[in-house]
Amino acid sequence: MSAVTEKEPVVKKANRLQVTKLNNKMVNQYWEDLFHAKEQGKLVCWTEGIQINPILQAADIAWCHGEAAAALMAARKESAVPQAHMETLGYDRELCSYARTHIGCGILNQSSTVEAQTLLDVDGRTLGSKIPPPDMIISAYPFCSTGQQWDNEVYRTYGKKVPIFNMSLSWTWGNKPSAKYMSGPEYRENVAFLKKQLQDCIRFIEGITGKPYDWDRLTEIMTYTKKAAELRLEAMQLCKARPSPASFFEWTNSIAPVNFLPGGPEIVDYFAQKKAEIEARIAQGVGSVPVEKYRLWWDGIMNWNKIGWLSDKFAGYDACMVAGRYTHMGFWQEPQVIDVRDPLDGMAQNYLTCPISISAPQVIEKIIEHCEFYEIDGLILHAARTCRAFSYPQFMIADAVGKRLGLPVAMFEGDMVDETFYKDEIVNSRVEAMLEAIDASRARMR
Amino acid sequence: MNAILERLAGVAQNPYEYVKAWKQEHGGRAVGTLPMHCPAEVIHAAGVLPVVLQELADPITSGGGAFFPFFCGYTRSLVDQATEGKLDFLDAISFTDHCVQLLSAADVMRIARPQIRIHFHQLIAALDEACSLENSVGILHSMATDLEETLGVTITEDDLRASIRLFNENRQLIRSIYDMRRSGSIRLRATQMQHIVKSSMIMDKQEHNALLRELLPQLQQAGKPPRDALPMYASGHLCHAPRPEILDLIEDCGIAIIDDDLYHGYRYVSTDVDESIGDPILGIATAYLNKNDNAPCPTRLAPHTDWNIWLRDKVTECGAKGLIVLLAKYCEPHYFHYPRIKATFESNNIPHLLIETEHEGIAMENLRTKVESFAEITKRRQ
Repeated sequence: MSAVTEKEPVVKKANRLQVTKLNNKMVNQYWEDLFHAKEQGKLVCWTEGIQINPILQAADIAWCHGEAAAALMAARKESAVPQAHMETLGYDRELCSYARTHIGCGILNQSSTVEAQTLLDVDGRTLGSKIPPPDMIISAYPFCSTGQQWDNEVYRTYGKKVPIFNMSLSWTWGNKPSAKYMSGPEYRENVAFLKKQLQDCIRFIEGITGKPYDWDRLTEIMTYTKKAAELRLEAMQLCKARPSPASFFEWTNSIAPVNFLPGGPEIVDYFAQKKAEIEARIAQGVGSVPVEKYRLWWDGIMNWNKIGWLSDKFAGYDACMVAGRYTHMGFWQEPQVIDVRDPLDGMAQNYLTCPISISAPQVIEKIIEHCEFYEIDGLILHAARTCRAFSYPQFMIADAVGKRLGLPVAMFEGDMVDETFYKDEIVNSRVEAMLEAIDASRARMR
Repeated sequence: MNAILERLAGVAQNPYEYVKAWKQEHGGRAVGTLPMHCPAEVIHAAGVLPVVLQELADPITSGGGAFFPFFCGYTRSLVDQATEGKLDFLDAISFTDHCVQLLSAADVMRIARPQIRIHFHQLIAALDEACSLENSVGILHSMATDLEETLGVTITEDDLRASIRLFNENRQLIRSIYDMRRSGSIRLRATQMQHIVKSSMIMDKQEHNALLRELLPQLQQAGKPPRDALPMYASGHLCHAPRPEILDLIEDCGIAIIDDDLYHGYRYVSTDVDESIGDPILGIATAYLNKNDNAPCPTRLAPHTDWNIWLRDKVTECGAKGLIVLLAKYCEPHYFHYPRIKATFESNNIPHLLIETEHEGIAMENLRTKVESFAEITKRRQ
């Protein structure tokens, strides 16, 4: 036997923000409220896509956002059961994994068989088993036709008995010279059409609640939402600092307050606290990773099964994922256009400029702006296998940032909530190759 | 009869060669369209040849470096055609369908091949909403305006009416072939039927109509064939044509496909534009919104229509003994609907077989065994 003692490898972990605990508390409270919404006499709306929750909140309707439910189930390792059940029913695993998880819960929840309840209610604690069935469905998906079809499938799963409102978000193709980000006749027409549909949606809600819509309440909610969004953007921009005080993963962890949590003072306070913690870190020179040697951009939707794990993985590479398309180009990303006294136009503009609502030429320009602002060294392109809406422009993004900024990329497949598509060793080898390319490039510059 | 069918097969097999020859012969221009709901009448009214772009059997090469392999074969083929310069003969592309994969492909194509002007005018997928008709009318007007600007032409209402008449006649002629085939008075193999429809997507409609008018009496004169094969209904395969070798294999296993709702089939000709509607754009918009009743489409949202129930009734009405579902891999709208179709056919005790196709091809001998077994099972159930 050799007496040589192997040195323990140094494990580097991401330096997580303390305020994230508050986010988790708010998220847990939201779900608890939703689980008991019907006991409190509230109607429940199932919705996917854009953040229409302020519209529902103003009508005192509880909501379940399908992606949010699927993402949380994935993070809690609860998404495999509804996905497997969907496969047994004939739904192909190449379908959107959000949809498979969400519809799977809907189907299992409706079934009173012991088998279904056992599947869904492992340990009696799973999220899927507690989501109340819908009293209405509002479909409002940007760009992705699969999103609309997912809502249609939910509608059919509930026997076509639950009222549905289908909103159609026009994709700004932007082929004309007049077409610019957030301007041009085509964009304005699309905003006007969506605004009209939001008004129709509110009439649909009035028809169901039997009550006049509370526009003052919407103004109040949107005031909080706008303020929270502004604070979030300010805090994000502070991460231009070196080392970056927070990472993309920290912004991923904070999607809920600008995606599906109720608009109120809590979300404003959350981002105020987050901004303060980030400012304190900057003052102390504390980074999001122990050693920041590389500053990266995450392109693609999040792999919800692996947020913490990926966060530590990149910390181990001395790499800070400073920003990303999913977090930095979406979720009330243009709050300045929201007139809280008459918010529908501004809301429509935010919905129509989220990162899958704009076509590739504009996506590329925005990514280049961000990469320059945050002084990015390389891009991670996470091609979510079942989110084709997010994945499709990635070859073009890789080409553009390579040609225009000289940045290397690492591309790998994964998924939002179906972890079977993720192959760790492929990720390792591609990320390491990209980091070596950055090192080589720096060496040449010396 | 064979000469006409061979002519149509030739166009179907080499669609772009026909278009290039047509352009040269007529000194005309050609505008590509993407499936499945783009009203080609509007393009035709601009005085150009509308061409539904087809999946090519060529292997994906340079396109594989621009588009992920987990997109449907049709969109991957389109991107490859663009990156390979195979679409450079087109004067523009105009399309209207809101499908994430189609839009993604078009977005990649316009960056890969900026010299081809690509127009997109999003027809609302939700067919039953209060705003559906008004929005569709507005979108079609925008589409016409963009074509006018790009091509430097004026599209008049009379131009539109003339195109509608021509296209209606084409659809009616093809539907009459379907009627004869369904009733058993003629026998056309599924591949021949595909050639008839696919060539219609490519050819000058006047020329196609003339050929069909000639073909119809010849088909009737050919007489009633013996019906010894197992009658079957084929469904699905949206946007692009199932490979002829798959259809041939199915029919070589003692099956006769007597009806279908394939896009390269009945779906393409299911609905005419009402010529009595004074405003031709309104007529086209109305036809678009009503089309789902005649051939339910999983890419459209129409709560009152159930494709699975419609299919069950169609299979029963035409006398088919079962259903073959042809599903193009990665086609998400079809994936959403298939389990419901499966459940309906199982609960009604109607045999059905799912065949998933891929651009790269499928193992044909495995398929043969599958289809032979399906035919045997179906016969025993009778």
